[in-house]
Amino acid sequence: MLHPGVTVNKPVKHRYLRNIRKHWMLYVMILPGILFYIIFKYIPLGGSVIAFQNFQIMKGIWNSPWVGLDNFKFIFTYQDFYHVLRNTALIALYKLVIGFPAPILLALMFNEVRKMLAKRFLQSLFYLPHFLSWVVVGGIVFEVLASGGFVNAFRGWLGFEPILYMQQERFFRPIIVLSSIWKEVGWGTIIYLAAISGIDPTQYEAAVMDGAGRWKQTIYITLPALFPTILILFLLNIGNFLELGFDQVYNLLTPMTYSVGDIIETYVYRSGVLQGQYSVTTAIGLFQSIIGFILLWIFNRLAKKTGEGLW
Amino acid sequence: MKQNLGEKGFQVANYVFLTAAAFTMILPLLHLFAVSLSSPVAADSKEVFLWPVGFTLASWKHILQSSGLWQSFGVTVFITVAGTALSMLFSVLTAFPLSRREFLLRKQVMLGIVITMIFNAPMIPFFLTVRELGMMNSLWSLLIPGVIGTFNMVILRTFFMSLPKELDDTARIDGCHDFRILFQIYLPLSKPVLATVSLFYAVGYWNTFQRAVLFLRDPGLWPLQMKLRAYLTSPEELAQVNMFLGDYNFNTTTLKAATILFASVPIIMVYPYLQKYFVKGSLLGSLKE
Repeated sequence: MLHPGVTVNKPVKHRYLRNIRKHWMLYVMILPGILFYIIFKYIPLGGSVIAFQNFQIMKGIWNSPWVGLDNFKFIFTYQDFYHVLRNTALIALYKLVIGFPAPILLALMFNEVRKMLAKRFLQSLFYLPHFLSWVVVGGIVFEVLASGGFVNAFRGWLGFEPILYMQQERFFRPIIVLSSIWKEVGWGTIIYLAAISGIDPTQYEAAVMDGAGRWKQTIYITLPALFPTILILFLLNIGNFLELGFDQVYNLLTPMTYSVGDIIETYVYRSGVLQGQYSVTTAIGLFQSIIGFILLWIFNRLAKKTGEGLW
Repeated sequence: MKQNLGEKGFQVANYVFLTAAAFTMILPLLHLFAVSLSSPVAADSKEVFLWPVGFTLASWKHILQSSGLWQSFGVTVFITVAGTALSMLFSVLTAFPLSRREFLLRKQVMLGIVITMIFNAPMIPFFLTVRELGMMNSLWSLLIPGVIGTFNMVILRTFFMSLPKELDDTARIDGCHDFRILFQIYLPLSKPVLATVSLFYAVGYWNTFQRAVLFLRDPGLWPLQMKLRAYLTSPEELAQVNMFLGDYNFNTTTLKAATILFASVPIIMVYPYLQKYFVKGSLLGSLKE
């Protein structure tokens, strides 16, 4: 403003240069991190263009022929694709409907436990499975549900025939949902419990004065206070809707349950990585990411109408 | 406070449910432990519940003498230690500039990072990138491609931002440069969050599976989880002796149980000591911006 001839751009540029000179160490520090994100996040993201190619490993990304939308046209006429998409969407839906509310419910139940010692002890037990790998949990699930496992021992004790749960299609999806709740429900409560502990206690005092019992307090104070947290976690969940977690399904899947349990990630691994169908499986992977993003976008818009969205 | 009958009933039901559910978290592990210490006959005839029947250490002896298992154990210990150290270094160095007002590209870089959380690269291009970098069949493929966990990095950044600004103003007047501010002022004040994030990384490395499935073809390099998976799916590998010829005091049931525990014992052992850290740490990293 003092020198009328100076353009707007120049001071900004100067600001950056001076800043870089003064704080060059910060720029040096972050370099490895930026390289990491470019190499392992952005390059693979860009590499998704092979979905529009007939990618041949010998020719590489630069010399493989372009085929436009052929790969996408192919997957939409492809029996396996519908199978895998259906499995993925159904399991994702069950997980969302049953698995998402589970830690909220559990956190509310923990909140009613008044004895600190008991609360801490119970919580420790609930957190434990989060730290086990899916290979271990898969091993446990197979063992517990085996013909000699203790679920069948219990059935035998009641006079029923044993059931081979892991080999039967109709049990696969429930097992996936239940095992993921078993593993993560306790861990999932942490963030809700933090939000609950942040609620102003005077609100509860006022409610008690008005004659509200525990139930009314939960409905009218705790739950509304949790709502923003629930909303944000829900949106984060929706963004990864179709990403169920390779480790879990891979470790519970057997050839006998492929028809109901083979999901996009396990299919892409088998046909893409193992059998070299790079372009087609990338198209499937890209399709999965795009669906995730569209869902996120829709739900974010809906969320903004009720409160805060992610962006 | 007065309680009416309904609330008392709820209290009781709540305790009963939570206790029962909490025990299902630990029962399968106790059951496996009992099975691993039982005779093969008892293990297969559903006699074992939480107490070993026909007590024997044979399964444990067998797997503890298996050189393949120890080799994988060594790989896992190596990637856990080296990986956690590398991850912490990369994450701290990334989180610190992102927590500073003086770093003018803060917003742009953060946006670039958040985008990678929303748009995950599909598996195949990721696989091909790592392969092009020559990391196939090398332990680097377990260490480098996931060296920064974005969520962990954000926890560190949130913590750094919560430290009082006056700290580094004084340090700067005393002539400290950014590296010294980070290493001599910020990091010593961040011990609890550093411990938490290290724990998250360490557990991640200990449980590494998908990257090993993708990138390691040579069984000699397999980390413990891969080895365990191989043993669980083809138990013959577990007992290379022909069990039907000799009268061994173990079988695949008891061996599997012992192996599953072998792969989780270290985590179960350190878990109670670390609990206070991770609960605190996850709260630090919760959704505040």
